[in-house]
Amino acid sequence: MELYQSLVAVNPVTLIASICNLFIQLFLFKKLFWDKILNILDQRRQAADQEISDAKAAHAEADAIKATYEENMRQAKEKADSILMNAQKTATLRSEEIIGQAQAAAAQIKSKASADIALEKKKAINDAKNEISGLAMAIAGKVVARELTTADQAGMIDRFIDELGDNV
Amino acid sequence: MEISITGAKVLATIENVPLFGTVQITQTLTASWLVMLIITGLCIWLGSGLRVTNISRKQAVAEMAVTSLLKFVRGNMGTGFDHYIPLIGTIFITSVVSNLISLVGVWSPTADLMTELAWALVVFVLITYHKIKSSGILSYLKGFLDPIFVLAPINVMSECFTPISMACRHFGNILSGTVIGTLIYGALTAANSALFGLLGSSMYVAIAVTVLGVIPAVLGYTRKQKKLLIVGAIVAILGVLAIFTNLGATYPWLTVGIPAIPSLYFDWFGGCIQAFIFCALTTLFIKQAAGD
Repeated sequence: MELYQSLVAVNPVTLIASICNLFIQLFLFKKLFWDKILNILDQRRQAADQEISDAKAAHAEADAIKATYEENMRQAKEKADSILMNAQKTATLRSEEIIGQAQAAAAQIKSKASADIALEKKKAINDAKNEISGLAMAIAGKVVARELTTADQAGMIDRFIDELGDNV
Repeated sequence: MEISITGAKVLATIENVPLFGTVQITQTLTASWLVMLIITGLCIWLGSGLRVTNISRKQAVAEMAVTSLLKFVRGNMGTGFDHYIPLIGTIFITSVVSNLISLVGVWSPTADLMTELAWALVVFVLITYHKIKSSGILSYLKGFLDPIFVLAPINVMSECFTPISMACRHFGNILSGTVIGTLIYGALTAANSALFGLLGSSMYVAIAVTVLGVIPAVLGYTRKQKKLLIVGAIVAILGVLAIFTNLGATYPWLTVGIPAIPSLYFDWFGGCIQAFIFCALTTLFIKQAAGD
């Protein structure tokens, strides 16, 4: 004969046993499932945090390297600029110097040439004078050999040359 | 015919136990142990082989359950009550498994009021603890005299009805499912005996019904008319079952499959929703008791 409880029965043993069951179940649930999953979730969060901080550190390092590199590049550029500028300045000075030297040399050559020309001219004139005076002497000697004294002759020749020189 | 709806089956009766007197060990206990076994097995299975990265599908499901439970409790209670989450999770999973275990023919522990009352009493202790903790024992006791001392009995009653209402709400829903399931089963049995009493009275009728069903079924199949096919098939199946009945193989055929349709609502949906409501009320009551 099977015995059944009524539909709504109060059974203190079942009640107490159910409470105990609940706590046993709670313990098992917590130990076997809940804590483990939470632990895993925590570990994952820590790993993620770690990765983020690592990434941040790497980023900072990369930034530092980049800054150093840029600084180096900037310095190199400055140096190159200054070298270039110096070279340009030197070249300008040098070219001016060369031009100046050339001009001076040219001026010297010119003045020397002028002096030479003047000297040559004077020499030529003197030569011409001597030649002409010789010539005139010869001519005059032939023409007026007898009529003139030597003194008169010299005065005459000088006067003649002077007149000639003024016209030459 | 007679339908009887009873409580849990009594497995053993022990007389003269100290303090308790006559003790009845019922199906509820064994069924709840089975439920605990199932849940513990589930916990071990889900809690094993956990990895931080490259997780399995199983672990993803477990983590999703944990995070959604966390979200649920924190959404209802805020972050100060995290130590109650395992309790709420335990009550929820126990309730769901207990409600659904009736689907495989085992007595559902939640169909016994004592199970829910046990949970509700634990929750009630927590509620009272938080009430006393938040306002002090004196003002807690003074609260019973509010607004006027004459109302003290009513206040005490309203306090006591919190666990009772929680337990009865859950129990009532499971009970209604059981009752309606039993009624449908009984009705189907009655309909079955009426139908096959008629069809199974003679072999000629049974064969006639079978032929009557096969013809439209074949016609519906060849002409691709689904309605005709379905109606014909049903009639033909009834006829075949009637032939079996005539041959002496009597069985309440109609009770096969059909009760699963209401059970879809009462057991699956109702079971889960009641577990959820119980847990939601637990969180809300504790939160309310703790104040802000």
